[in-house]
Amino acid sequence: MTNIETSVQFVDSANDFHKINANETSVSIKDVTVSFKGSKGTFTAIKDISLDIKKGEIVALIGHSGCGKSTLMNTISGMVSPSKGEVLANGNTVKGPGPDRGIVFQNYSLLPWLTVYKNIYEAVDSVFKDKTSIEKHELVEENLKMVNLTQHKDKLPGQLSGGMKQRVAIARAFAINPSILLLDEPFGALDALTKGSMHIELLKLWNLDNRNKTIVMVTHDIEEAIFLSDRVVVMNNGPEATIKKIVDINLPRPRNKKDIAHDPEYIRIHDELLTLLFDKFSIED
Amino acid sequence: MIKKSAISIAYFLGSMAILIGLWQLISVITKAEIPSPVSTWAVFKELMAEPFYDRGPNDKGIGNNLFSSIGRVFTGFLLGSIIAIPMGMLMGASKIGMSLLNPIVQILKPVSPLAWFPLGLLAFKDSGGATIFIIAITSLWPTVINTAFGVSSIPQDHKNVGKAFGFSRWKYLTKIVIPYAMPHIFTGLRLSIGIAWVVIVAGEMLSGGVGIGFFVWDSWNGLSLEKILVAILIIGGVGLLLDKGFNALQNLFSWEGK
Ligand SMILES: Nc1ncnc2c1ncn2[C@@H]1O[C@H](COP(=O)(O)OP(=O)(O)O)[C@@H](O)[C@H]1O
Ligand SMILES: [Mg+2]
Repeated sequence: MTNIETSVQFVDSANDFHKINANETSVSIKDVTVSFKGSKGTFTAIKDISLDIKKGEIVALIGHSGCGKSTLMNTISGMVSPSKGEVLANGNTVKGPGPDRGIVFQNYSLLPWLTVYKNIYEAVDSVFKDKTSIEKHELVEENLKMVNLTQHKDKLPGQLSGGMKQRVAIARAFAINPSILLLDEPFGALDALTKGSMHIELLKLWNLDNRNKTIVMVTHDIEEAIFLSDRVVVMNNGPEATIKKIVDINLPRPRNKKDIAHDPEYIRIHDELLTLLFDKFSIED
Repeated sequence: MIKKSAISIAYFLGSMAILIGLWQLISVITKAEIPSPVSTWAVFKELMAEPFYDRGPNDKGIGNNLFSSIGRVFTGFLLGSIIAIPMGMLMGASKIGMSLLNPIVQILKPVSPLAWFPLGLLAFKDSGGATIFIIAITSLWPTVINTAFGVSSIPQDHKNVGKAFGFSRWKYLTKIVIPYAMPHIFTGLRLSIGIAWVVIVAGEMLSGGVGIGFFVWDSWNGLSLEKILVAILIIGGVGLLLDKGFNALQNLFSWEGK
């Protein structure tokens, strides 16, 4: 617990760079529809979605399981291509995955036969083809240090706890220094305590980088969404899911996990999100 | 740990006792037409007294015969594997590869090694080459099938890593495909070496010359059933060792459970 508190102090000391970048568009989703062709015809997961995300913004995608959150996020990562519409990342049309976008997958997706170090190194090696191996080595070491895993660098993923694996996945995504970070239910499999400290870690990394990175994350967790983001995008249930509502989180940063829960604005937002997610009658609109 | 291996050794000894008991029983029933364990043991000691003698083309020690067989088995097995692993990868990685090659595998796999022998003779004009050929062609199938299965079952998660971080084809092959498929490839290799070892005896009985299979045939012509029994025991023992050896390799190269 004390550990978390000191981390919060650290967040406190950071400047609010966030507002400075507020005008550049980082991700632009334009009228995107994604349909999957299956044996029983086409299935349209998301339909006509448009969303602009500013540079340095943290946006959470929230919605019921299967509504199309991962699909929407994967159109940004380039793992899924839109059937209609387009996505711009840093002004360029997304045609596939690229080093300007770092992905942290839902289930960590570490390669189990590679050590922690190697898992990060192979990603770095493949993205920075022009760097020397010493530079690449230093980059890996730096990112390992950032997530406090230096002493575990020679372990295989199977020897790590869930929280540690998630930190490796985050370090790997940060190591390629993307301007956009995409996190798909990154903390879903973690216990509440670990989850809490991972939230702080993520914000710490974001602050260390002068809040320059755009972060898009998928979550089911309302508290997590409010604590971390600037905006929460609530999605309708699929098929043909659309954005139901975008809720602004106007809570001042740095945010303190303990205090925030008593903030009347927090309580109001929490209530609004709960209603949006669990009001059965409004699902059909 | 120690207790566990002591128990497994005890079971192994028990198992051998049953085998020798049955053998003795059969020997008694057949009125020693099948030699008893004791008389076989005497011949075994005799053969082992000078295992590596060489008195011309058809008269060599049992050690010479054995090592010559092992050499052929490994040559055939190696050649087979060099074909089998890439072929299995191709089948596992591409639907087209699978559709084109799988029928060939299905048709050639059940063919008896003896049926291949004349073709080998025709191709290599030499019975040694033909023996290696039949070992290669009959032992490669389990490696093909297991490699194909391993490669085709790479989880989407692992593939996504390669895609998301822009792995080159070479990196994808060496850091994702091969490591993932490794345990499956070794399962295939282990089955293949087993088949190769079974086939060698048949092959050498046809080809003659030198080898443990030839030794069996020669002993039959020389009416020494004891020698045949010694050879059978050696063949079985070496087969067991090969299997254990490949099992150890499989554990060495496997990331599972680490
Ligand atoms: N590759 C695919 N092929 C077919 N259907 C898919 C595919 N990916 C996702 N879907 C379907 O699209 C819908 C949305 O999935 P997803 O985006 O994973 O939801 P979420 O992340 O919100 O749980 C689901 O009904 C899912 O079954
Ligand atoms: Mg999902």
